[in-house]
Amino acid sequence: MSMDGDGRAPVRIGVVSAEHVHAPTYISLLAALPGAHLVGVWDEDARRAEAAAEPVGTRAFDDLDELLERVDGVVIASANSRHRRLVEVAAEAAVHVLCEKPLATTVDDARAIVDTCVGAGVRLMTAFPVRWSPAAQALESAVRSGTLGRPVFLEGVNTGTMPDVHAAWFVDPALSGGGAVTDHVVHLADLFRWILRSEVVEVYAVANRLLQERFAAVETGGLVSMRFASGVSATIDCSWSKPRSYPTWGGLSVQAIGTGGAFGIDAFRQRLAVYGTREAGISWRAWGPDADRGMLAEFLSVVRDDREPAVTGIDGLRAVEIVDAAYRSIEAGVPVQLGAGQPS
Amino acid sequence: MAEPNVAGPTQPLSRSVATRGGATQPLRVGVVGAGFIGQTHLAAWAAEGLPAVVHDVDAGRATELAGRYGARAAGSLEELVDAVDVVDVCTPTHLHAGIAIAAARAGRHVICEKPMARTLADAEAMLAAADAAGVRLFVAHVVRFFPEYVAARAAILEGEIGEPAVLRLTRASFRPRQPAGHWFFDHSRSGGIVLDLMIHDLDYARWIAGEVVAVHCRSASVTQPDAGVDHAVAILTHRSGAISHVSASWGYAPPTFTTAFEIAGSHGLIEQSSTTTAPVTPSLLADTEGGGPTAMAETGLAGDPFRLELAEFARAILDGSEARIGARDGLEALRIALAADESARTAAVVRLEQEAG
Repeated sequence: MSMDGDGRAPVRIGVVSAEHVHAPTYISLLAALPGAHLVGVWDEDARRAEAAAEPVGTRAFDDLDELLERVDGVVIASANSRHRRLVEVAAEAAVHVLCEKPLATTVDDARAIVDTCVGAGVRLMTAFPVRWSPAAQALESAVRSGTLGRPVFLEGVNTGTMPDVHAAWFVDPALSGGGAVTDHVVHLADLFRWILRSEVVEVYAVANRLLQERFAAVETGGLVSMRFASGVSATIDCSWSKPRSYPTWGGLSVQAIGTGGAFGIDAFRQRLAVYGTREAGISWRAWGPDADRGMLAEFLSVVRDDREPAVTGIDGLRAVEIVDAAYRSIEAGVPVQLGAGQPS
Repeated sequence: MAEPNVAGPTQPLSRSVATRGGATQPLRVGVVGAGFIGQTHLAAWAAEGLPAVVHDVDAGRATELAGRYGARAAGSLEELVDAVDVVDVCTPTHLHAGIAIAAARAGRHVICEKPMARTLADAEAMLAAADAAGVRLFVAHVVRFFPEYVAARAAILEGEIGEPAVLRLTRASFRPRQPAGHWFFDHSRSGGIVLDLMIHDLDYARWIAGEVVAVHCRSASVTQPDAGVDHAVAILTHRSGAISHVSASWGYAPPTFTTAFEIAGSHGLIEQSSTTTAPVTPSLLADTEGGGPTAMAETGLAGDPFRLELAEFARAILDGSEARIGARDGLEALRIALAADESARTAAVVRLEQEAG
């Protein structure tokens, strides 16, 4: 526990569910973040809660209500399909919410999550940490300042290893909502919406299950093309295409094309190549800035000041709508149209 | 101790098998078109030690190039065809078919620069003319001779990554420095960036992942809104279920020319980028302009891909063997490119029906 810079009382934060691979990262960051008091971790699996709480010496709760009574805000890091129920419980307890991406596995659930939080008067933020990546911010700035001229095309790559090595639910469609398209489209879709300040109006997507064929239940390879209302086109490679032998989990990069030229970013390029004792022989150790830290600091600030977050629930909903459109396109084999987007 | 694997200059064709019917006379080559690619091919033929004839509608340009590469300038296409065994068509795209068909009808073998033709009907007519005349027809998709692309295919054939599943192929450069009105910028003559630049990777995607059944493409104008498309991305669905993301750009600043690919297979991954594998990286103070009129991929330190390509075609003509790319491959690459171009214009997905075989 530590006071923030203004000497105000720390913001009391809880972590709700440690199912997601990001939960341990959030827990260790929150334990050290100035102005935060990590009250504890709840998980429906008591042993998982204890395992997650233990490294930072925080408390494991086996009663969710007990945790919610003691916090101002929660970070929800459950399996995707459980987000809605957990957000509803938190909102009922008048606790602000930072929800792991994707916000939900269906558009209906995502909309219900947004409506529930509005109705309960709690703040809802979607966990899109890429907006706090300095590389992504540099691209946004190049577009905003006019350096890149008028943007015309964005090509994004967010590929990675199979997340099943961290948690089996990622490849169970009932819990995850889908495979690579669900897991990896939303980060870049949100980044593109933010950079362009425009909504997606058309989506075309293709997918297959040829990569890592043991995952017959969900798609493992996917390519998505989208068109924004502003006329800009964009693509995303969201495939789980990094084999286990890959020296890191994956990466996120964008090549932006504008009338002023091209602008490339690679959010995880700052890394060491380490030839150590691991079986893989080589591993990449990141030394760049941690975007998760900026995202969590924003949530603390949102809770403290009871203000609109930089990434809202509506942003989460829009990303889910794009994923939903991608699946409809995969099914139909043709581009599908999206509504112009309700005003946020 | 293993032999050092040093890829030195290949033996010139003139000193190996470049003779006709066991006789001592070398294969006679005629290059039609003394532009950018014609010059590249003339240089390669000269390196192979084969006598070449060159013809261009601009006689001065043909004479100049002939002098530079020890070739002979022909005053007319007929004169060139009469004097050679093989006609190497390096003209603007829309003129390929007429010249190739005339050469085939005269009994000459034909090598044709990519894209094979401006239209599918033209390409089919070329194929028919070559078949009818009993001559060989090759389409010069040089990427199949670039060592990094060859090495990736070899790794895949050896089973290193399993079945190809997701391909991402990128070719990024600056807008060719040609005057307004140049055929290159006229979609009706060149087919634009999709037929000229993207087709390299469309052919490679098909070489790696097999026949393409659906094509989606989006394009944009970057540098000159009225001058046509200079950035395009196609998404291909292969019959095998594999999917490919193919990006071609003239939207970068000179002297950029980067190529990259990532091929993900059922149990592995291949990554390649020209930006991280350049063996020589000069940064010369005198070289402030950078980039010629048209960007060209660096060819590495040994084994000029253009020379490898033309030598393979010449050998195939001489000994009746197959080259790694045939006329049918050139036609299929064109079919995919035309589908991408159509998709970019109509916003629809174009489905392809392959002929049997």
